[in-house]
Amino acid sequence: MKCPMETRESAGFLLAYGAGKLDAETTALLERHMGVCQACREFAGHQRAVSAALDAWEAPPVSADFDRRLYQRIEKEVSWWDLLTRPFRPMLVRQGLPVAAAACIMVMAGALLQRPATVEPAAPAESAQLESVQPEQVEHALDAMQMLSDFSHQVRAAANESEM
Amino acid sequence: MEGAAAALDYDAELMLRVQQGDGASFGVLLGKHRSSVVHFLYRMVQNHAVAEELAQEVFLRVYRSRSTYEPTAKFTTWLFRIATHLALNSLRDGKNERLQEHLDDDTGDLPVRQVSDRRPSVEQTMVYEVKLAEIRQAVAALPEKQRAAVLMHKYEEMEYTQIAGVLSCSESAVKSLLFRAYETLRKRLAHMA
Repeated sequence: MKCPMETRESAGFLLAYGAGKLDAETTALLERHMGVCQACREFAGHQRAVSAALDAWEAPPVSADFDRRLYQRIEKEVSWWDLLTRPFRPMLVRQGLPVAAAACIMVMAGALLQRPATVEPAAPAESAQLESVQPEQVEHALDAMQMLSDFSHQVRAAANESEM
Repeated sequence: MEGAAAALDYDAELMLRVQQGDGASFGVLLGKHRSSVVHFLYRMVQNHAVAEELAQEVFLRVYRSRSTYEPTAKFTTWLFRIATHLALNSLRDGKNERLQEHLDDDTGDLPVRQVSDRRPSVEQTMVYEVKLAEIRQAVAALPEKQRAAVLMHKYEEMEYTQIAGVLSCSESAVKSLLFRAYETLRKRLAHMA
């Protein structure tokens, strides 16, 4: 057997041996090796001592009311959820699907509204010149507005006549 | 490999039953793992009250996760991952500042030692307590991950693979953690032989 002290990987054999967790075949091989290897013998001896020392450390028993306290906490949690959902329960039962659909629409609308507003990049000076408003354009716009206003008056007058 | 083990894991089956609303299966899981989780946490934080509080949180998290539970790993790997995570958080949150005090005054937590049929003498009790304090100090002085690895290896008898799953590291990293941890413990505790 190759000396287990040579690598950390195989030193695992010595750790397992010290803890009494090594299988019979490997134990036999290791003990044969330890017969001629003092380093491994010392390592295993110290490891056994550590293992025995750790064995002496007993943990205190679990409190008798551990389960009761846990179930109380679970119960409380369930009760809170129950309390929170109680007002919505009849609605959820009767209108589960429409409510779910409405919730989906709201989530989608929220996601759309969350999208950052697109900011137009600052136009360069040349294009600002090209896109500047000319006096003729203003006149056209005013004419169009006047025309729309007249049209609106006519529509309202016709509607009043039909009502009478 | 863990996935294959999980396929045969009875605990995972129980957890899947809990998922389907079987409260009794949760009781079975609790009964099976209560002690090991509390004891592991006790040795991690070295305070019985804190350990039980953390263990309650572990099982509460297990219960809360029932609807999303997927048996991708062995149940105990998942359980101890939660426990280790909570213990490490508790230690980092400063609860460990009280640890040193508890190492000295937490002797009320000690189980009644049964040395054959007769009661131990005062001297024996004192020797035991000194020895125990030394062991606890030595374990507490280990870096957190080394401590968790040693406790799982020594007291929970977990395989390297499972410890690796709990600590989310490789098997060789676990071997290295254990080697270093035991090396430190050997230096501090070997005289107890």
